[in-house]
Amino acid sequence: MSSVTSNYDVIIVGAGLGGGIVAGVLAEAGQRVLLLERGRDLRYRDIPSDHLRHHRLSLYGDNTTHAPDGHPRVFVDPQGRSRTVFPHEADYHNNALTVGGGSRIWGMQAWRFHPDDFRMATRYGRPPGSSLADWPISYADLAPFYERAEHEIGVAGDHTATDYAPRDRAFPLPPVPATPTGTWLARGAATLGWNAFTPPLAVNTKPYLGRDGCVQCRQCIGFACPSDARNGSHNTLLPRALATGGCTLITRAQVARILTDASGRAHGVEYFAPTTPDSDQTERRTAHAATIILAGGAIETARLLLLSASAQHPRGLGNHSDHVGRHLQGHYYPVVSGLLPVGFQNPNLGPGVSIATTQFNHGNPGIIGGAMLANDFVKLPIIFWRSHLPPDLPRWGQANKKAMRELYLRGIDLRGPVQEIPSPDSRVTLDPHVRDHFGLPVARLSGTTHPETVRTAEFIRARAEDWLRAAGAERVWSSPMDLRLSASQHQAGTARLAADPREGVTDPFGRVHGHDNLWITDGSLHVTNGGFNPALTIMALAFRAATKIAAKF
Amino acid sequence: MPLNQPQLDTLRALLDRLIPEDEFPGALAAGTDKFIIKLLTHDCAAEAPKIAQSLTQLDAEAIACHDHPFVTLPIAAQDTLISALEHNRTATVWPVTFPAGVFINRLIDLAAEGFYADPQNGGNRDGTSWRMIGYDPLLPARPSAP
Repeated sequence: MSSVTSNYDVIIVGAGLGGGIVAGVLAEAGQRVLLLERGRDLRYRDIPSDHLRHHRLSLYGDNTTHAPDGHPRVFVDPQGRSRTVFPHEADYHNNALTVGGGSRIWGMQAWRFHPDDFRMATRYGRPPGSSLADWPISYADLAPFYERAEHEIGVAGDHTATDYAPRDRAFPLPPVPATPTGTWLARGAATLGWNAFTPPLAVNTKPYLGRDGCVQCRQCIGFACPSDARNGSHNTLLPRALATGGCTLITRAQVARILTDASGRAHGVEYFAPTTPDSDQTERRTAHAATIILAGGAIETARLLLLSASAQHPRGLGNHSDHVGRHLQGHYYPVVSGLLPVGFQNPNLGPGVSIATTQFNHGNPGIIGGAMLANDFVKLPIIFWRSHLPPDLPRWGQANKKAMRELYLRGIDLRGPVQEIPSPDSRVTLDPHVRDHFGLPVARLSGTTHPETVRTAEFIRARAEDWLRAAGAERVWSSPMDLRLSASQHQAGTARLAADPREGVTDPFGRVHGHDNLWITDGSLHVTNGGFNPALTIMALAFRAATKIAAKF
Repeated sequence: MPLNQPQLDTLRALLDRLIPEDEFPGALAAGTDKFIIKLLTHDCAAEAPKIAQSLTQLDAEAIACHDHPFVTLPIAAQDTLISALEHNRTATVWPVTFPAGVFINRLIDLAAEGFYADPQNGGNRDGTSWRMIGYDPLLPARPSAP
């Protein structure tokens, strides 16, 4: 291994949604940026259309991870048994390992959080055993940055319908078109007296920012977008960063530790990277910068803070009050399936998500929080076979085959991201035994969410069943929720925002307490994760932090 | 090759019952057997020995129950046997670590994975199952994405 040292103004770890946004804003502000990404910069053709190896069904691998054996984690089940897991396994709690991160393959739902999502403890109290807390910022603090994300990333939606969260400006793109299941569900919602509307999606419903519109293919979530109409920072802010000439992107780069001095100031990172972009030879490098920003996702950012322990910070950076890695959360997803009395004359076109309600995000009697409910993406046949056939149907033989052809076009389902009640015991630590390809201790995931999460999820599941029945579904079924660790959908919470350093890891802008030039811009910051897909909130926080950082130059 | 010839014959006979031919081609015509062999050779190589052993066990089970190996049993007897395996009702002793019910459910999954996945996986030749149910990914011939 050779050793190379270089100097920048800003080092960003992770080129997902948050990292790409910060790179764009700061490079355009004239900063020299080093952007380090563990994955590769995958083109459309590098991400296979493999129905068994993608990001919604990764039975034998996934379509973005290269060298999957090199990045294991350890998962500890509720009974305390631990085992080594790899990216395609559910217990890994994966996010796509590539430039763009999860946004290369995401479902694009681009929701603002509800104002009450920022003050859950005030509204509901803190259940015993939970770490439910308010955010140190309000919806109003984030609203201008939500708006900026909607316009600079590109979100399609109906501004007249999303009044649960006040807005000043319409969406830049018209909403996604109605679908046959959406029409049934709209009638069902009307019957129930529920407000239902077209959800906001970060997709080009027409050409926007120099890229094509959605071609309405029927693969979508879990795969790369054939017309590059799926929006993220990889095709907006990141290209803008690179166009300045001031941003250096290095892929297949694994950061080993953040370097800090005796005062706590971060002055650089040590990382492993290929000796040349295509080489399998790796070298250890050191890069220095005045500002360091972590955006590797809630699991890897927590791991890196812990890996960066020093004599002055023996428990890891930002971890003086023992919050780093704790409160790991995602979203419980009740999924309710049903059968419409007729098949659609015109099968649903992609993306497929076309109707949602925010009727049950808050104000549910005796329940803490809630969830948005929406219909789902176009179903792949193998996913329909695995998860959406009636439960009493034979799993094989003539009857099963006949059901597949008679029911596939009649299937309808709803799901919703339940706002989790965080537990301090749901956490990321460093595994004492297992090391990654570079010899670094891997993330160890243990604990479960708080039982109140399950109670809320069961309430939401019942409302989803109500909606399907009202929509005319002949049969409706679903499975009960169980208590478990939840981070595979929308990992968050492991470096929570807090005004008081005793209550969290970062200040209200995302700066790590005790390290005033070390920042975080990913889901780690979320005190709670909203009853919505959280990507737009990650983006808004990244724009807000980048603006704050840029103002100091 | 992860399976010997008798095991392969048993696998094919089993697949022919798991996803049989009717007005539409079944698993064998779609190449689902080849999909499973490929998987057991590569991604699931570690699983191959116990699948192979269980296919031999299935024959022993067929002989114990019906005096004939699985491949030569009448269809009704094959189906009865598969149902019995699903419920772990067996005449012979199956390994505790890989009981009959786990084995048959794994084969049911593998058959469906091959038959209903994309044709490139090899078990859904010419997209036969997709045409049967009315699915087409509708991917553009000339994607504009970089």
